[in-house]
Amino acid sequence: MKKLLSVLLALAMVLSMTAGAFAASLEGTYQLTIWVAEEIKDLTAQQIEAFNSSNEYGITIAANIEAVSEADAATSMITDVEAGADIFCFAQDQFARLVQAGALSSLGKQAAEIVRTSNDAGVVAAATSGDTLYAYPLTSDNGYFLYYDKSVIPEDHVDSMEAIIADCEAAQKYFAFEMGTSAWYNAAFFFATGCVSEWVTDDDGSFISVHDTFNSPEGLIAVKGMKKLVDSPFHLSSSDGASFASNAAAVVTGIWAYTTIESILGDNMGVTDLPSFEVDGVSYHLGSYNGCKLMGVKPQTDPVKGAAIHRLAQYLTGEACQMERFDARAWGPSNLAAQGSPAVQANPGLVALYTQNAYSVPQGQIHGSWWDIAKVIADDVKNATDEAGLQQALDNYYEKISSLFTMSDDEKTSWGVIGTCNSVDGFFYTDYNNESRSNWAEDIPMTADGSVWTTEPWLMEAGCEFKVRQGKSWDNAFPADNFKVEETGTYRVRFDADTCEVSLIPAE
Amino acid sequence: MIQSQKSETPSMKRHMGMKASSRISNTASYVVLVLISVIWLIPFVCILLQSFRCESTHQVGYIIPQKWGLDNYRNLFNTNFPRWYTNTLITALFAAVFQTIIVLCMSYTLSRFRFKMRKPLMQFMLILGMFPGMLSMIILYQVLKDLGMTQANSVPGLILVYIASSGMGYYVSKGFFDTISKSLDEAARIDGATRFQVLMKIILPLSKPIVIYTVLTAFMGPWGDFVFARYISFNVSAGMNAAVGLYGWLSQDQISKNYTMFCAGGVLVAVPVTILFMCLQRYYVEGVTGGAVKG
Repeated sequence: MKKLLSVLLALAMVLSMTAGAFAASLEGTYQLTIWVAEEIKDLTAQQIEAFNSSNEYGITIAANIEAVSEADAATSMITDVEAGADIFCFAQDQFARLVQAGALSSLGKQAAEIVRTSNDAGVVAAATSGDTLYAYPLTSDNGYFLYYDKSVIPEDHVDSMEAIIADCEAAQKYFAFEMGTSAWYNAAFFFATGCVSEWVTDDDGSFISVHDTFNSPEGLIAVKGMKKLVDSPFHLSSSDGASFASNAAAVVTGIWAYTTIESILGDNMGVTDLPSFEVDGVSYHLGSYNGCKLMGVKPQTDPVKGAAIHRLAQYLTGEACQMERFDARAWGPSNLAAQGSPAVQANPGLVALYTQNAYSVPQGQIHGSWWDIAKVIADDVKNATDEAGLQQALDNYYEKISSLFTMSDDEKTSWGVIGTCNSVDGFFYTDYNNESRSNWAEDIPMTADGSVWTTEPWLMEAGCEFKVRQGKSWDNAFPADNFKVEETGTYRVRFDADTCEVSLIPAE
Repeated sequence: MIQSQKSETPSMKRHMGMKASSRISNTASYVVLVLISVIWLIPFVCILLQSFRCESTHQVGYIIPQKWGLDNYRNLFNTNFPRWYTNTLITALFAAVFQTIIVLCMSYTLSRFRFKMRKPLMQFMLILGMFPGMLSMIILYQVLKDLGMTQANSVPGLILVYIASSGMGYYVSKGFFDTISKSLDEAARIDGATRFQVLMKIILPLSKPIVIYTVLTAFMGPWGDFVFARYISFNVSAGMNAAVGLYGWLSQDQISKNYTMFCAGGVLVAVPVTILFMCLQRYYVEGVTGGAVKG
């Protein structure tokens, strides 16, 4: 009898436990640490109160809110994920590092769907690695535009960089545009001429490859424009809004400087999109990065707690909370409905930012080393004395970018074909029919049979050129002069690694 | 010049000439000294003046405030600054007391006692002292974290870290103790004093400068520490010291709002150290040099 009773009791216990698990009730009180910027600390506390009283799951959050700037959060999280906050805000350039460090938990299917449909495409891309969404968009205002002093620069001059420089020089005042210390700002020139720098990450946040065209004829135009700016004695490499208080007449910076600049310039403050610069008679409108801030949730050992925290993060990044942040601190919303609201549309700073967005590039995932590699361009450009010097700046850049990807031994020893033969109109290689791929930028793979390497066949036009090279580097490349295709036709490229002989085999 | 003095200047005149030339060289050296001190003082004066600026809170291109006031100091008390200040003070005081006791005991032992491992121990500590302490930061962080002495509880953790290796800083005070004649000890011992009484009643009263020097350096270390304190407090405001907390106000989103308050905080941090130094300056110099001469 006793035995039976104990069995029954045990059964009842097990049943009650599984029942609880299936219902997956989120009801309960959760202790968490939240890191937000100082200026929204109090607001966030109020928003969590509102969440506690209004959410339908019965979640009560007891939050310990700490002020941690978005610039520092990622570094701290990576130092010690365990001791880090459960919810933290960060600038999007930290995203890849955080995914790699396992400091972000991915969004559930439903939440991801809501985030994708209700936010602008740029921020969704910024929070995505591979196909997985890892963070909630908080703002979409991390871009830059032009603030100027109306008493120095007339309104009809603000469309031309040259005119602004001339006005500044005439008034002996500075044009502040951060160059040698920040790739984020100096990339504006490259985007103006249509250069791209796109990085590809996989689901784990690792960088696989880059498509970068800064080292190109367009890139050369860009650095010529940059040269005009950095050569001016009244160029100041700074993005500090307070520069207006120390003799600047124009500053390129973001929405965060709005209140500071307004307090300095008062009615003389002008805001607009970036100007254009002119090279060889052609005008190029300066581009920009448009980025965002994201809110991340740390992976939790307790799945129920994890789900509850995700509910909170979803709430904090929803339309209502974004509007509250806009009202209190003028943070530009990423939520599409909030972006379209009349209040947001009436903010001159955000209007300038949105105007500039037409010329901007969404800041996707960017390799952490890129910032340091690219910012040097501006100093190299300043030191250059002629066009060869400018080209050298780009060459240096390209070499450093190329060395970022350490290859496996297989990749290092295998051969590939590179040249003009893979991008000419109407010509295609099975995987290489994408016309936007630049000349001399991508290697067509070859397969080995003993020491003989061959490609798949594709159509080549008479006159196009190529080389066969090893390990995507120029250390071993043949023939010494480019191989020229004499007759249009469909060929395989054949390379004999023993004799280093390159030949074309007409496809059967 | 010398020749002319020799040939025609009477002694009276030569005396005046010397006076004039010494006046010139004095003036010159004062000008140089004033120049150097101006250069040296500018940052401090700037911070002081900025802390009284009330018309705006961001960085500006001028030094003299347009509107003076104590707003920044008043505002400090509406922030976490008092907490940071208390943390720093507690840490520094505890570190100063314990470190002084440990260092003085260590020095006394090594100066007066003769035991088997004395020389090897001193050599070992000399070598150990060359190991850069910053390298141990990460492992120390892990240890403290396991003990629950990081984040909000960082104050005991920091005290522990600051006093942990203090025994190795015995060099200066041991050098000073060595200069005090051993026959004093012996006399006291014959009269029945214990070793401890010798330290307390004979040695310490004779080495006031070195005690003060030890207290001062022990206080200064934790008072101005940033790197370690930042690491241990790990973004938790309640566990920060003044330097780490103030640094937070320099981030991009806060600097334009908190810059003048930052300066005010900086001034308040400097006040106790300045007062301490002014009062104890005399002993400090004696202490630094005292240990260097072996009698």
